[in-house]
Amino acid sequence: MNTVSSRRAFVAGASALAVAALAGCSNGGAGSGSAAPAGSEGSAAVADDSIQLQVFAANSLEKAMPEVEALYTAQTGVTFADTQYKGSGDLVEQMRGGAPVDVLITASAGTMDDAEEADLVDTATRQDMFVNDLVIVRAVGSDVAIDAIEDVASVDGNIAIGEPGAVPAGKYANQALASVGLYSSDEGEGGEYDASIADKVVQADKVGTAAQYVSTGDCAVGFVYTSDVYRYDGIEVAYTCPAESHKPIVYPGAVATASENADAAADFLAFCMENEDALAIWAEYGFELA
Amino acid sequence: MRDHGGRHSVARRLHALSAILLAVVFMATGAPGAAWAESKADLASENALADDDAGFGLVDFTRYQTGNSRLVEGEDLGYRYPMPDNADAVIAVTAGGEAIAFVDEGACAAASFDAADAVDVDAFRALAEELDGRVAKGGETLADNPGRGWTVSTSSEAVFGPYRVRVGVEADGRRYISVVPAELYTDESPSSVAAVQGLDLSDALLWVDVARLVPAGEVVAAEQPAPLDAASGFFQSLDLRPFWVSLKTSAVALIITFVLGLLAAWRTMGTSSRLKGLLDSVFTIPMVLPPTVCGFLLLLVFGNATSVGRWLIDHGVSLVFTWEAAVIAAVVVSFPLMYRTALGAFESLDAAMLDAARTLGWGEGRIFVRLMMPLAWPSIAAGTVLAFARAMGEFGCTLFFAGNYAGVTQTIPIAIYFEWMSGNTDVALFWVVVVIAFSFLVVLFINLYTARSLRYRERGGSVRAARRGRAAGDGARAVSAADIDAEAGGDALRIDTEALRALVSETSAMARVSSARAGAPSNGGVDDARPSDWGSHDAGRDA
Repeated sequence: MNTVSSRRAFVAGASALAVAALAGCSNGGAGSGSAAPAGSEGSAAVADDSIQLQVFAANSLEKAMPEVEALYTAQTGVTFADTQYKGSGDLVEQMRGGAPVDVLITASAGTMDDAEEADLVDTATRQDMFVNDLVIVRAVGSDVAIDAIEDVASVDGNIAIGEPGAVPAGKYANQALASVGLYSSDEGEGGEYDASIADKVVQADKVGTAAQYVSTGDCAVGFVYTSDVYRYDGIEVAYTCPAESHKPIVYPGAVATASENADAAADFLAFCMENEDALAIWAEYGFELA
Repeated sequence: MRDHGGRHSVARRLHALSAILLAVVFMATGAPGAAWAESKADLASENALADDDAGFGLVDFTRYQTGNSRLVEGEDLGYRYPMPDNADAVIAVTAGGEAIAFVDEGACAAASFDAADAVDVDAFRALAEELDGRVAKGGETLADNPGRGWTVSTSSEAVFGPYRVRVGVEADGRRYISVVPAELYTDESPSSVAAVQGLDLSDALLWVDVARLVPAGEVVAAEQPAPLDAASGFFQSLDLRPFWVSLKTSAVALIITFVLGLLAAWRTMGTSSRLKGLLDSVFTIPMVLPPTVCGFLLLLVFGNATSVGRWLIDHGVSLVFTWEAAVIAAVVVSFPLMYRTALGAFESLDAAMLDAARTLGWGEGRIFVRLMMPLAWPSIAAGTVLAFARAMGEFGCTLFFAGNYAGVTQTIPIAIYFEWMSGNTDVALFWVVVVIAFSFLVVLFINLYTARSLRYRERGGSVRAARRGRAAGDGARAVSAADIDAEAGGDALRIDTEALRALVSETSAMARVSSARAGAPSNGGVDDARPSDWGSHDAGRDA
């Protein structure tokens, strides 16, 4: 009897704490929701009459896209669920896994082709949104000098490259390496690195991770997009890979077939490409429209 | 009346614990305010700077890294950069590294800036270099090249190489900075002429800065925030949702784990050894498997990629990348901890005692609730805390199965990884500190709890002493000691004492001698039932 009551007191106290925590949860969620720039509140907090879009965007859009979304929310009232910025391949896999998506923007035609083949996106809505350049970056102030792609072989330190299966930037980088014979497959995937760089290559799960490796000094150089230089501190362009060394870098966007707000999603894509204020944001972050 | 003292001490400890927890919560929450609006205001002053000696300054300094070649309402502007309505100073940096500044004549007069005066131009250049560095976002800056050629003019266009750059070009009610071929007749389309000449207009400029030139007095001084303000700004702009998501997810997961873990341990205990081995492996395997394997399997079972998953989704069970998925992931990885500790505790119970309860006509359910649970409670409590900590720390399985949705499935561990990946090292560090503080509290709680159950054991010993005292006539003291004893030890102890009182009294003389020799009796209640063992322990200790 006594034990039971003491345990009850414990359990009651613990559940009171849990309830308090849960109550705090909803407060905390609502309170900080207003602090989030993209207005990305949990789906439960959305009023019935408003539309909420789920955007899956290539990792390199992580800094620019929230501003465009905030602009769109201010103008139309359409809100956005927490936008996912991952390697384009990951995004497609996540869609395959059943994640609800309205808009998909990838960093390569190939990943968008995969999504089309799996019937995940509406082919009619597909359009090329941005073009980008592939650059070799170094840490700011580093004395690494690169005048040609093959110079990476003589760099003292590791080379950050996106994992080619999931990160389009990695695939483009491997194509650029293949153009000077440092990678065995012209496709940029499924090949081997030349022995002179094989043990120096560090694969990153996102293009941003590759940029971060260089920024933290874990790698001496890395292959990223021009736009990545603008969104990470501490890295600078050492060399811009010639456009002919890799396939054209385009960012295709499309509306997901599973979208319940397909019209609103198409409107948002059009806004991204046509609204002059949105274009100014892309310009600030170095995304050139296709 | 009897159990008041005990309940109070539990309540006191609970209060202390909740006070600590709440303190952490408030610490983490800080004072929620209009954080974003403030940070916007900070930004506004960040891209403004004045030179008081020269008498002018630049505000609304913005840098455009790229432009685009899109038509503006059907009109071809060549390669164009945006130009805000109120901007009256533009700095175009050519591919050759030259900086060409265009300043509006009216603005020059208002700001008493003379484009022909070398002192004014130098001051303008210094302002532009400083501000450009602030907004460059890691790109090349104006200051990078001290030998850069500078021209400052009040005209609205300039020619360099094969290109011509025009500022303030109006189209469809907006203004643009446009790059066109140098040789261009008025009715020609810039893009087609560029194509004919083989020019890539987008290569002409590296980037473009725009700003407003104003008298120095109009520039709101860009105050360097005090360290304390900077810190409070950091905490106010912090997104605390990962904390709540973590807490909510692990709390719900813990409730499920607690019930399932205890039931599984209880049912496994009673089964035949071969079945038990199988069940035990199945229940424990999530502890041995890498969490990503659990996540992958869950994704296969519930996801859209397999027929099982599609069947579930067709029947309304759509779980992947939802908060429920995060809870399931946390349950799967924390369950083995709860199960193993509970099983271990149940198995270490004296089987004879359970049999004794059965002979008294107790049902299995009653034995579980009234006998096994109280006796195994210290281990179960420790297992619960471990399971909670494991649920809080869950990363791989959650990321796989529930994804990373801020405010929905983004728990603290996931937030740490993604904040670091996005370059927000300070935010990641904040969460690391929170996790360390939280883990410290968990360990502290386990230690306090262990100390508490140790005290109970010591008191259990003193009860025995007191009971012996009662035989000598010290009744009042025996009653109060029995209260404490009953509060902590519970039914099991009472069963011991009631069922085996005769035995105890038979050997009490010997026990009294042993306890006097050992100084302070420290054996637990279970040993109480085996006075002969106890005696032999003591003998061993003496030897």
